[in-house]
Amino acid sequence: MNDISNAAAATQAQEPVVVERTYPASMRELWDLWTTKDGFESWWGPEGFRVEVNALEARPDGLLDYDMIADAPEAIAAMERMGQPLSHGTRGRFAEFRPFERLSLVHVIDFIAGMDPYESRIDVDFEPLGDRTRMVVTLHPHRDPHWSRMSAEGFGSQMGKLDRRFGTAA
Amino acid sequence: MTQIDIFETLADPTRRRIVEALRQGERPVNAIVQQAGIHQSGVSRHLRILHEAGFVSVRPDGQRRLYALRPEPFRALDGWLAGYRQLWEARLDRFGAALEERRNAHSTPEKEQDR
Repeated sequence: MNDISNAAAATQAQEPVVVERTYPASMRELWDLWTTKDGFESWWGPEGFRVEVNALEARPDGLLDYDMIADAPEAIAAMERMGQPLSHGTRGRFAEFRPFERLSLVHVIDFIAGMDPYESRIDVDFEPLGDRTRMVVTLHPHRDPHWSRMSAEGFGSQMGKLDRRFGTAA
Repeated sequence: MTQIDIFETLADPTRRRIVEALRQGERPVNAIVQQAGIHQSGVSRHLRILHEAGFVSVRPDGQRRLYALRPEPFRALDGWLAGYRQLWEARLDRFGAALEERRNAHSTPEKEQDR
């Protein structure tokens, strides 16, 4: 029973996934990557996709509206295999917005065929550590079947090649 | 069974309470009802859904039917969560690379030569 108990405890639907990193940068630098058009476009989205921000209102309850566009051959092939368009508009809002401390980004997922719209929330906390900043990202994956589908298709495994795009874009 | 089905199965709070009750071990229906604090009327339907989704096994024991958890869907959930975490680890790698790009772009030529 122990295996089942442990797995059940670890995978309860209410339990968030927490991912954290410490970066050699200021809180403001990290904050800007979430809350400015250029910053957000520079990293958001899975490998093989680029993001074009149409609107980013950096304030409490501010709108975030962007297109996520498959632009690498493997990403295009994956989207075609799943019968999804190569570009889709995505909307969200900053449910919490406490500059340099905490934000909560709620996405409205309404582009999955055959699935009712739902919300997906990401909480981000920033903490200064001398000249570095710790960032804690809390995810709520049970409300995010979109990513479960991507993951099920093996899409996540293609995301390790991180530096290439930045290297070529520099 | 896909991961989406697994999440949909556990999205129901009553079914989560049944799973919680069964974590203690094999149980007949009346013990599940009592332990999970749920109403008798819907429990058979929820147990049937959990059974069809592969979450529970059932075996006869005289007049009773005993229900127990099966490990397979929980392993699948664990695997999915690991993949989800990996996806975000990769995304935060990318975040770090973007930070560095911006720092380099803003640094002076002298500093860049020092690197």
